[in-house]
Amino acid sequence: MLALKRLAFPPIMHHLSPAAYRPPGGRHGRNPKNAACIRAEAFLYWAPMEELPGARFAHSSEAEFARILDFYGIRWAYEPRSFPLRWDKQGHVVESFSPDFYLPDFDLYLELTTLKQSLVTRKNRKLRRMRELYPHVRVKIFYGRDYRSLLAKYDLHPAPTR
Amino acid sequence: MSAPPVAEVLLSEEQIQERVRALAADISRDYAGQDLLLVTVLKGGFYFLADLTRALDLPVAIDFMAISSYRGDKGHSGAVRLIKDLDEELTGRHVLLVEDIIDTGLTASYLLRTLAARDPADLAICTLLERTARRIVPTLPIRYRGFEVPDAFLVGYGLDYRQHYRNLPYIGVLSPRSKDGT
Repeated sequence: MLALKRLAFPPIMHHLSPAAYRPPGGRHGRNPKNAACIRAEAFLYWAPMEELPGARFAHSSEAEFARILDFYGIRWAYEPRSFPLRWDKQGHVVESFSPDFYLPDFDLYLELTTLKQSLVTRKNRKLRRMRELYPHVRVKIFYGRDYRSLLAKYDLHPAPTR
Repeated sequence: MSAPPVAEVLLSEEQIQERVRALAADISRDYAGQDLLLVTVLKGGFYFLADLTRALDLPVAIDFMAISSYRGDKGHSGAVRLIKDLDEELTGRHVLLVEDIIDTGLTASYLLRTLAARDPADLAICTLLERTARRIVPTLPIRYRGFEVPDAFLVGYGLDYRQHYRNLPYIGVLSPRSKDGT
């Protein structure tokens, strides 16, 4: 397994200081149910670098994808940010979405997924919700066949599909 | 020779050749009087480069690159390794990167960075196929594009499946049964 490679700064710091993203009243923030989309962004919770554990990839496909990015010299961060999607009446986050990778050079979040239909459906639903709440954030689902084809292109790994 | 496992012909030989001639006409017009170098990456791009350059009405130079991965002790890949670098100097020249297909854009982005570091006068991309559904790199200087293609496994005209079918004169969608090895 590959160890987590961190960027010098969490990508969120490109725009605002960490304090600006810490929601008032703690990590979960208030209930922004009636807030405008732009306001929802202010409720992102942010994990400062020192709080991040010595994380490892949750899935081998993520490690493979990280190797592809290294192969191409593309900078990346692994799950650097969570986007709250739903809150309960007390304002606690009950559902969030943490895209697998952030590519700062392209200002793009990527979520990897397998071809298992139940997972794809669930991730697509989360992605739709995320785009409603955070329309200015670029996020894309990358399917298993896509990164396997990248692996195959230069014989990084045998690939059944392109 | 047995029939290739192609479920559907996406682009016929005639369609490809007609489009290649049209692209060549555009390039001949745009680069008239310039010192043009066309670069492609082995192996996928060489059929397209061969047909494209023969249709050009310009005195051009061609060159090739080949890249592979470096394997570490544990079999993990490292940085890109150039296994064949360009023979031509790029400084002050007009360079056109000729690609068979651009999908994520990661390869093209890497190659552009490599070529740009050699100080060409101008650097742009000519790709026969573009598959925007998988795009990761949002901005690439694609000046010439042959066809937009769907998100399917394609073979032929340089595109391979396990190093086979590059020599098909058309571009087809590989049969799903072939991918499963059945």
